[in-house]
Amino acid sequence: MKLAELQNDFQRALFDTECKGADWISESARGLSARDRLDIYYNAYRFRLVDVLLDTFEHTAIYLGDDWFNQLAMDYVQSHPSTYKNIGLYGKNFPGFLAEQLPDDKEVSELALMDWKLRRAFDGPDSAVMTLDDLQQLASEGSEICLQPVPTLTTCTHEFNTLEIWNAIDQDETPPVVTQLPDPVDILIWRKGHSPHFRSLSQIESAAIARVCSRDTLGDTLDNIGAALEKDFPDVDVATEFGLMLHRWLDDEIISTGILN
Amino acid sequence: MISGFGPGFGLGLRTQHYNDFLAEPQPVEWLEVISDNYMVDGGKPLAMLDQIRANYPMVMHGVSMSIGSINGLDKDYLRKLKKLEQRVEPMWVSDHLCWSGVHGRNLHDLLPLPYTQEALQVVKRNVEQAQEVLQRPLVLENVSSYAEYEQSEMTEWEFLSAVCQATGSKLLLDINNIYVSSFNHDFSPTDFIEGVPVESVTQFHLAGHLDRGDILIDTHDHPVCDAVWDLYRQALLHFGYVPTMIERDDNIPTLPELIAELDVARAIANEVLTGNYQEQNKIALCQGR
Repeated sequence: MKLAELQNDFQRALFDTECKGADWISESARGLSARDRLDIYYNAYRFRLVDVLLDTFEHTAIYLGDDWFNQLAMDYVQSHPSTYKNIGLYGKNFPGFLAEQLPDDKEVSELALMDWKLRRAFDGPDSAVMTLDDLQQLASEGSEICLQPVPTLTTCTHEFNTLEIWNAIDQDETPPVVTQLPDPVDILIWRKGHSPHFRSLSQIESAAIARVCSRDTLGDTLDNIGAALEKDFPDVDVATEFGLMLHRWLDDEIISTGILN
Repeated sequence: MISGFGPGFGLGLRTQHYNDFLAEPQPVEWLEVISDNYMVDGGKPLAMLDQIRANYPMVMHGVSMSIGSINGLDKDYLRKLKKLEQRVEPMWVSDHLCWSGVHGRNLHDLLPLPYTQEALQVVKRNVEQAQEVLQRPLVLENVSSYAEYEQSEMTEWEFLSAVCQATGSKLLLDINNIYVSSFNHDFSPTDFIEGVPVESVTQFHLAGHLDRGDILIDTHDHPVCDAVWDLYRQALLHFGYVPTMIERDDNIPTLPELIAELDVARAIANEVLTGNYQEQNKIALCQGR
């Protein structure tokens, strides 16, 4: 039996729905059968990936409880062979899997997506952050000011009170009863310093953030964003609102100078 | 305490101990980092790595190269590893003599290879590719295993020796892995130690395992057991001083507890490599063969 065939068979055996043993494994004097020996690798593969999902989706796991989460995680492992070198990326499709598996409990996949995005922000790319001084310097030079998001900035949308659920779990409190929100709310996720952060967005701030992210990392100019907001929110004092938003964005460190650290 | 024995004694850097290493100098001469944990875009892992690297020499230890894969090595993985190597400037770069998946799938395990001439050629091809990218010899670790192949044509130590001879790669001997595999496959750990080329051995790992009665599992979640300390003594007698570290990946104790365990390794090395121990025990070893 050639190496290619052995490695194919070994891999296929570990992906199988049950451990069936293999005739290419030696039976040794130690008494363990070939099947028992293969079973160690078979179980280790599953436990290792379930552990990674537990670690990545910590809040989701607490919300679902050990038994339910472990069953869903095992089902995911069985149906999603890992294609990642970095085991930390294995849960990429887990929020989508939960949405399919639990169509009547949509807050679960919202919770999982939040866990996932916060984890990705943790070790996402670094960049130099724009400060108020940087902004004032650019303004004094008369330059066109382009706002670019830090590379870890991302958003997700909640249709349920998932943010409250996440916060309650994080504070080791009993989560509130799940309720559908009157309107979907966008959640901003990014890394400030070494720590992932998140907060909900008003409609106008969500529209402004969408403009900042609209050309991917190239960002958009202050003038363009202001004009777009004037058009979309005619009843709002955009100049005041946008000024407040801009200050908060600089405090939150979500605007990049475009220079990588 | 031993002085003048190369880089000294090390520990695996774990996130639980970041603050200890940042707060004050620790009695650890060097640190081993899991390469894969730092092959990320940015954030705290790389910031901590840079800060701690400023005060400690490091070695890089990978778990995902899959050097025995029939499909060859992942070029993107090698590119990221090289980038990290340039950042860390480690004393050496190691990974495991194993395979972890084929055809774009990853089993996230250190799977044993059949010890055949065909596998040797595959490993040779892959090691040469890695060494070409890294521009330095790759250091390969023996893995713990729970299964052996009917197809094997040579022992594990003969295979390791053949890889070193064919590629110029070096060896990271995991003393615990030798012990675990010798129990699981009923071979003599002394034969293993005496069967690999002395000049290739670059590092020792010491770790704990789980004794299931019928099989030993390499869990890295226990202190080093007496039998592995004894094998460490044998290894020191045979190879002389080799940079040694304690590897702990689960149930991670406080740093002072790990340093106390490292002090046991230091004391054993001091005992074995100085005084009359060598003469007495070389005789004992010869008689015992």
